[in-house]
Amino acid sequence: MLASILASGLAVGAVYALIGVTYNTMFSTSRVMSFTAGQLGMLGGVFGSLFVLRLGLPVIPGLIATLLCCAVVGVITEILAVRPVLKSLDQHLYVLSTLALALMVQQITAIEWSTEPQPFPKIFDIGPGFLDQKFWLPIAACAVTIVGLEFLYRRTLVGHAFVAIAEDNFAARALGLPERNLRMASYALAAAIGGFAGFAGGQLLLAFVANGPLLNFYGFVPVALGGLGNNRGAVVGGLALGLFQQAANFLVGGIFSSVAVFVMFIVVLLAAPQGLFGSSSARRV
Amino acid sequence: MKADTSAAAIPDRKTERHWRDSAIHVLPFLAIFGFAAIVPMVTNDYWALIATRAAIYWMLVSGLNLVVGFAGQLAIGYVALLTLGAYTTSVLVSGNVLPPFPLFAAFGVAALFGAIFGVIVGLPALRLRTFYFAMSTLGFATIVTQIALAWQSVTGGGIGIAGPEFPPPFNTTTGLFYFCLGCAVLGTWMTANVAHSRFGRALIAIRDAEVATESLGISKPKMLVSIFLLAGAFAAFAGGLFATLQTYITPDAFSFDLSVLFFIAILIGGRGSILGPLLGTIILTLLPEFAAPLAAWSTFLYAVLLLAVVLVAPGGIAALLDFKNRRPLQSNRAIIPRPAVLPELLSRESAHTTIALRDISLSFGAVRAIDGLNLDIVPARIHGLIGPNGSGKTTTLNVISGYYAPQSGTVSLGDTELPRGRPETRAEHGIARTFQTPRTVGEASVLQNVMIGGTIAGQGTLVESLLSLPRHRADERMLEETARLALRVVGLESLASVRADRLQHSELRFLEIARALMLRPRFLMLDEPAAGLSVDEIARLGGLIKEIKGQGVGVLLVEHHADLIFDICDQITVLNLGRVLAAGTPSEIRQHKEVVSAYLGG
Amino acid sequence: MKITRREFTKGTAAAAGAAALGLASPAIAQSGPIRIGWLAALTGASSAPAIGFDRGVKFATETINAAGGVKGRKIEIITRDTQGDPTKAVNATQEMISQLKVDAVWGPTNSGESLAITPIMSRAKMPNIHPCVIDSLIDAQKFPNAFRIAPSNSQWDDAVRRYTLQILKAKKVAVIGDTTGYGVAALNASVAALKKDGAEVVYQANIDATQPDMTPDMLRAKNAGAEAIVVWSTSTGMDARLFNTRANMGWDVAFVGHPSMSSGEIKALIDKPANWEKVYAVGYRSCSYDANGKLPPHSEEFVSKLKGKTELKDTLLWWVAGGYDAVTLVAKAFQEGAASHEDIIKYWNSVKNYPGYFGEYTFTPTEHNGYPGKDVVMSDASTAKDGTFRLAPGYA
Repeated sequence: MLASILASGLAVGAVYALIGVTYNTMFSTSRVMSFTAGQLGMLGGVFGSLFVLRLGLPVIPGLIATLLCCAVVGVITEILAVRPVLKSLDQHLYVLSTLALALMVQQITAIEWSTEPQPFPKIFDIGPGFLDQKFWLPIAACAVTIVGLEFLYRRTLVGHAFVAIAEDNFAARALGLPERNLRMASYALAAAIGGFAGFAGGQLLLAFVANGPLLNFYGFVPVALGGLGNNRGAVVGGLALGLFQQAANFLVGGIFSSVAVFVMFIVVLLAAPQGLFGSSSARRV
Repeated sequence: MKADTSAAAIPDRKTERHWRDSAIHVLPFLAIFGFAAIVPMVTNDYWALIATRAAIYWMLVSGLNLVVGFAGQLAIGYVALLTLGAYTTSVLVSGNVLPPFPLFAAFGVAALFGAIFGVIVGLPALRLRTFYFAMSTLGFATIVTQIALAWQSVTGGGIGIAGPEFPPPFNTTTGLFYFCLGCAVLGTWMTANVAHSRFGRALIAIRDAEVATESLGISKPKMLVSIFLLAGAFAAFAGGLFATLQTYITPDAFSFDLSVLFFIAILIGGRGSILGPLLGTIILTLLPEFAAPLAAWSTFLYAVLLLAVVLVAPGGIAALLDFKNRRPLQSNRAIIPRPAVLPELLSRESAHTTIALRDISLSFGAVRAIDGLNLDIVPARIHGLIGPNGSGKTTTLNVISGYYAPQSGTVSLGDTELPRGRPETRAEHGIARTFQTPRTVGEASVLQNVMIGGTIAGQGTLVESLLSLPRHRADERMLEETARLALRVVGLESLASVRADRLQHSELRFLEIARALMLRPRFLMLDEPAAGLSVDEIARLGGLIKEIKGQGVGVLLVEHHADLIFDICDQITVLNLGRVLAAGTPSEIRQHKEVVSAYLGG
Repeated sequence: MKITRREFTKGTAAAAGAAALGLASPAIAQSGPIRIGWLAALTGASSAPAIGFDRGVKFATETINAAGGVKGRKIEIITRDTQGDPTKAVNATQEMISQLKVDAVWGPTNSGESLAITPIMSRAKMPNIHPCVIDSLIDAQKFPNAFRIAPSNSQWDDAVRRYTLQILKAKKVAVIGDTTGYGVAALNASVAALKKDGAEVVYQANIDATQPDMTPDMLRAKNAGAEAIVVWSTSTGMDARLFNTRANMGWDVAFVGHPSMSSGEIKALIDKPANWEKVYAVGYRSCSYDANGKLPPHSEEFVSKLKGKTELKDTLLWWVAGGYDAVTLVAKAFQEGAASHEDIIKYWNSVKNYPGYFGEYTFTPTEHNGYPGKDVVMSDASTAKDGTFRLAPGYA
C-alpha cells in the first residue's frame, strides 16, 4: 500500500515538477508566468497519442514531433500573449493574455481531439507493477530534464545567455545579447519541457483535455512552494505535492484530497509568500 | 480684481456644467434599464428569462468590477461565491439543516457568508503577486464545487437541491425579472457611488500607482478587505437569485465557463468603468442566444475576445465610448502656477517640529547605500540634497517616507520616532512627497488624480459612500473644491477633466505636486521635480516651491539642476557614496573645494 | 419551412397582448408541422448519448415525413445544443416554451440539466419525455407533464444488484464511484440498497476519476474480501484503470455497474483485451444478442430498417432506438387526435405496452416511469457489436 502511494505519488509528482520547471523557464527570460504551462503538459499527451497511436509513427520520431509541436505552441505564446504585453509588465496584462491563449488551446483540443480520455501508447513493456512505464518514466524524464538544464545553463553559451538575461535583463541587453530571440528560444524550450512532461506521463494521465487546467494548478503549486524561478525548489515541491496528494487520496478520499491540497497551497503561500526556498523580493521604488 | 468677478460667476456655470456632466453619465444607464424594463411587455417569457439572467450576472459583476476593474485584483474564480450564495439560500429556505428560514432572511445570511468568504478568498491578494492570487481564486472555485458534491446531507450532493421560491408577485418569470432588475439597478447605483467616492479613486490608485497610494496614507489591506466584503456579499446575493431562476441547482450548473464570463465581461467593458462592464455583461449573456450554431465554440470566442481586448483595445468598450478624451488638446499649452492661491490651500499654521535623521545606515546586499547619515528638515526652509548618481539621495528620501527600513539609525518628527518601513504612516504626519518617475493613474482624469491625494481627509465611511449619505456628499464636494484649488496653484486647472495619460511629462510633475498638496503637508519632499522641464518651467517651479516654503512648509529637494538648487535652497547637503560630503548654505557649498571639483565641475 | 434561429419580432405583438391580459395560451397549432423541441447535449463533455439519440430522432422524423407525416402534418424537430450545461438548458427550455411554442419536448439527456428544467416545464405544462436516470425527476404528482422512456437509476441499480447477488452470488461487495455529482449520488443509493438486500458492503469509495493509480483502493477492496465490485462512474478512463489494476493484482473479481464500462473507448485504454473480461455493464434486453449472436426479433427488424441509413458502429443501439421511440410517441399522440398539450399528456397516460424498439412502454396517470424494469439486464462489457452487447452469462 505504502509502496503504491510512493510509486504513484512520485510519478505524478515528477509530472507536476516538470510543469513547474516549465513555468520557471518561461519566467526566467520574461518575468511572466503563463497559464499555458499546464496546457502544454496536456498537449504532450495529446500529440504523443496522435502521432504514435493514430498516425502510427515510431516512438522516437513521435516524441520529436510532439516536442516540436509543443515548441511551436510555446513560440506562439511568446509572440501572441507575452511580447505585446511586456512593455507594461506592472499592469499584469500577461495574466489575461496567457489565460486567453490557454482557454483557446483547451477549447480547440476539446473540439478537435476529444473530451474523453484517449489512450496513450505503451512504449516500454518491461513488466508490471513498479516496472510499469507509467510509474518510472515520468521520474526518469524529470531527472533527464533537470540534468539537461543544468548542463545547458552551466556549460553552453546559450545557457549562459539565458542565465544572464534571467539575472539582469537590462545589463544583458546592454551587453548586446539578442534578448528577443533568447526569450523566444526559452519559450520553445519551456514548451518542449512541458510537452515532454505530458509525453512521459502519458500512460499515467492519458491523452485527456481535462489535464490542462489540472496541470495548470498542480504544476503551479511546486513553483509556489519552491520559490519562483527555482528549478530545484520546483522538483522538491513537485515530488512533495505528488506524495501529499496521493496520501490524501488514500487517507481522506478523492473528494477531500483536492481540498487538502488547496488548503496546503494557501497556508504555505500566506506563511511564506516567496516559497519555502525562495529569496526576498526586489526593490519597488 | 478681474479674477474676483470671474470667480464669482463660476458657481452658476459650474452647477450647470455639473448637472450636464452627471446627466451624460446617468443617461446610458437610464436607457439600458429603461429598455430592459419593457422587455417582458414587448416580448415573451423567454426574453424575460434571458434579461433576468443578465440582471443577475450583472449583480455579481458590478461587485466584482470593484475588485477587478477598479482595484485591479485578478480574481478569476468568482463563480465560487455565486455557488456559495446559491447553496446557502437554497439550503436555508428548504430547511434540511435548520428550521426553514424566511426567504429574505436567507438572502441576508447568504450575503453575510458571501462577504466573509469574499475576504477569505481575497486574503492572498494582500500578500501575493497577481498571478498567485489568480491561481488561488481558481483553486477556490474548484473546491467549492467539490464540497457541494461531497456534503450530500446538506447540499444534496450530485442530486442537488431545489432553489428558493419567491412569494407573489415575484414568483412568475416577469415578477422575478422585475425583482432582479430592481436589484441590478440598486447594485449599479451603489457601486457607482463607491466608484465615484474617495474609495473608488483609491482603488484605482492601488491598481495603477500602488507605491504612490502608500505615501498618501491609503491602507491597501483595509481598502481591499472592504471591497472584498462588498463584492462577496453582492456575488452571494446574486447566487441566491441564480438559484431561484434555475429553480433547481446541481454542482454542474456552476461551471468555470461562468467564471470566465464574469471576468471577461469586466475586461471587455473596460477597467475603471461601470457602463462598460454592464454592456459587457449584457453582450456576453446575449451572445450565445444569437449565435447558437457556435454554442460549442462560445468559450473559445470569449477567449479570443479577451485576447483581442488585451492586445488591441486595453481600454475596452469604455475607452471606445470615451468621446470626450478624443478631442485634441491644445498643443502649445504652458503651465503657469498661481502660487498666490496657496494660502487658501495651506491654511494650517506652520509647524514647529523638525524631521531629524540620525545615524541612518542602509545596505542592499554588499552595497552601502547610506552610511551614517544625519539630516534635518526644518519648517519653512528648503533643504537641497545633491550628489552624483548612486550617492543615496533618493534612498534617503525613501527612508524618510518609510519605503526602506534602515538597518540602523532613527527618523523622528519632533519627539516621535517615525516607524521604519511603514510608508502608509507618513501622510497622517503631514509628510508628502513626489516621485522621480511620476506615479499617476493614467486612466483617471487629472482632477481625480489630484483628489486621490486627499483620500485620508474624507470623513465618511464606505457604507456612507455606498448609500450616498450626506457625509459622503460633503466629502466629495470638499475634495473636489480642494483639488481644483490645488490644480490652480500648480497651473493645471484647464486640464482638470483630461485623462492623465494624455499629459506631457512636465505636466505630470506638477500634477504630482498638486496631489501632494492635497495632504496640506507640513513637509514636502520632491524627487527631481525639474527633470524634463524647460528652462521657463523650472523657473516657475522654483517660484512655486519658494511660495510653498513661505507657507511654513519644510521642503526637501532632491535635484540635479544645480541652478535651481542654489537659487532656492536655504540649506544644502551634498552626498557621495552614502555619506555627507558637505553641508551648509548655498554660498558655503559653492566654496567647498571637494564639491566644486568633484561635482559642480569647476 | 425552415425555422430561423430565434426570431425576435415574430409573434411579438400577440405575445405582448397575451402578457398584458395575463392570458396563457394552452391551445397549440392545429395545422402546419408538429414541432418537437429536442434538448440535446450535442457537444461538450457528455455528448455521446445525445449524438446517438439524435440519429434515432432524425431517422424517425425522416421515416414519418416520408410516409406523409401525421394526418398530413410533417414533423419538425427544433434542436438546441445545451452542451450539458444546466444554465443553457434552462434558457433553451424557456425559449421552446415561450418563443418557439413547441408541441412537446424530448430531452434533455443529462440528469443535471433535467433537474433544472423539470420544474420549469411543469409550470408551463409542457409535455416532456426524457431518458435521464435520476429517480426524483419522475413524479406524476409534482410533474404530471414529465415522462421517462429509459430506466431510472434505481432500475439500473436493481439490475446491478440482482446480477451481483443472485447470479454472481456475491455476499461481500465493494462499491466504487467517481467524485462527480452522479458518482456520489449513485454510490450512496447503491450502498443503501445493497445493505437492504442483505449484502455486506465491505468497502466503498469515491475516487477522483483522474487519479493515476487505483491500486490502493483495489487493495483495500481485496483485503476486505470483496467478491464483486460495483462501479458507478461515467469516466471511461477510470473504468480502464480499474480493469488494468485488477489484472496487475492478479485478481479475478467481477466488475458490475454503470454502462460506461462497456464504452468502446475502453478498448484502447486497457493494457490487454483480457483485462476487459468479467466486466458486466448495464444493458437492455432489446439491445442484447444471445449466444448465437441474435437480437430479439423486434430489434432485428429495427436494425434492418436502419441499415445503410444510420451508422451504429460508433454509438449504442439503445440510444438510437430511444430517440426513435421518443419521436414516434409524440407522433402517436397526434395520430390519436391530440390537439393540445393536455391531450398529449392524457394520451401518454393511457399508453399501455407500447411496442417501442428500445422497450415496451407503459404509462399510467400515477406512474411515469415507462420502461419495464425486467428488461434492464447486464451485458458482457467487451462484446460490443454495432451498438449491441452479448447478454451477460447467467440469464435465463
